[in-house]
Amino acid sequence: MQAANAAEALQSYSKPDPVQVPIFFKAVGNAPIMKQNLYKINALNPFRAVIRFLRKQLGWKAQEPLFTYINLAFAPAPDDTVTNLFKSFATEGRLIVNYSTTAAWG
Amino acid sequence: MSTYAPRHTPSAFSTPASTTLFRRLTWEGTVPLEVRVDAKELPANSDRGLECYYMQAPRVSYLPLLVPEIKRFLMDVVFDEAAARVIKEEDWWFESEEGSLLKWHWSIGLIYDNHTITASLRNNSSSSQITPLRLVLHLASPPTDKLLLSPSTDACKQAFMGQLKEADFMRWGSTKRMTGLRKAEQDGLWEGIKEHNFDEYWRVAAKVTPTTTPTRSTSPPPPPSSASMHTRPPSADPGSTAAPDRDGAYSVRSVPVRIYLPDGPVLQDLVPPVLEDGTVHTLAKFLATHLPLLFPPGKPPLAYALVQGVHAPPDAEMAWLGACMPSADGWVNVCVGILRDARVGRF
Repeated sequence: MQAANAAEALQSYSKPDPVQVPIFFKAVGNAPIMKQNLYKINALNPFRAVIRFLRKQLGWKAQEPLFTYINLAFAPAPDDTVTNLFKSFATEGRLIVNYSTTAAWG
Repeated sequence: MSTYAPRHTPSAFSTPASTTLFRRLTWEGTVPLEVRVDAKELPANSDRGLECYYMQAPRVSYLPLLVPEIKRFLMDVVFDEAAARVIKEEDWWFESEEGSLLKWHWSIGLIYDNHTITASLRNNSSSSQITPLRLVLHLASPPTDKLLLSPSTDACKQAFMGQLKEADFMRWGSTKRMTGLRKAEQDGLWEGIKEHNFDEYWRVAAKVTPTTTPTRSTSPPPPPSSASMHTRPPSADPGSTAAPDRDGAYSVRSVPVRIYLPDGPVLQDLVPPVLEDGTVHTLAKFLATHLPLLFPPGKPPLAYALVQGVHAPPDAEMAWLGACMPSADGWVNVCVGILRDARVGRF
């Protein structure tokens, strides 16, 4: 019975309610600027989904290098979720994602 | 014991002996691994009786760093010369016995503990019995997309440095301490892991990891000057306060902590070392806040927490865990397993 309760509890932590969080994209150095740079993204996504989205918006080809950072400071692990990053690093209610064509704070 | 005293370990010049002791114990922790080459991928003429390699791997190490030792064994004992010539270790990757992909950028200790808690969901055998973690080594076609990194030591090192910086940002709201290190020092962190050299790693890591101070190493009361410190905004520059232990474990904005649940979910949030009511944040409070269904306040818990493979006591302080038992990348990994009926109340 206890195991059943635990499984139920795990379920609820594994599938939290979907939330959209604002992500603010900011170019660094020579990286092209986006026309629209504020997007709401499903917080359950891993960070690599954000990278994929950004590449699509920029029309970036797979081989072209693109480096992404949070708060001009560090590159998160690609399997970090947007919700985890947002809770820990959001600034004024937005998660700031910097992108660059060369390695900057790696 | 004297080897743990600061005066005998110049690398830990300002670190209290008790902190150094727990860092040393964590560093020396190893886990048993059984590495088996996928039978379908064994080259022709391999010695099939011997395709299994047993090793005791440091918790702080990473899979790409184990590859040279495994390769040496396979070359010497299992593969014939023709096969040895065509084997490309760039194509190697690992799965657990159950078929889940093992990530290059997770430390061996995290992979092991994560496997333990995932197994806690399924079997009734006691998890206190130490068994080797069974890994399947594939020699070809790495699923690069799912591994997230190219399977190279360089990519692993970069991810490791990224995690150190993220941990630094969690603590202080900036990466000043990490970026303040010279290139040679940053490389020294990784070299220390590669060589499994405690002194080389901690000589540098001690500059970025906060320490408990000797007078407060046991259940410290909040400092008298704490009121002003706790009301400042979380991103405030720690350098702007004049508190004597402003670099200490109890002064950080947040302890870098991640919760790992069986079968995958990872939770991360700000974890202040001292709560708003001035009490010190403990593991019990932390778990009750973030996982109230598994650790219901006032009731027996349905789960247990592992930190570095150890059943962590509920009154362990989060700041202390951050100073004494982080992984080499700076993060405290709390792996939560499910208690079976027979083991109720163990936590």
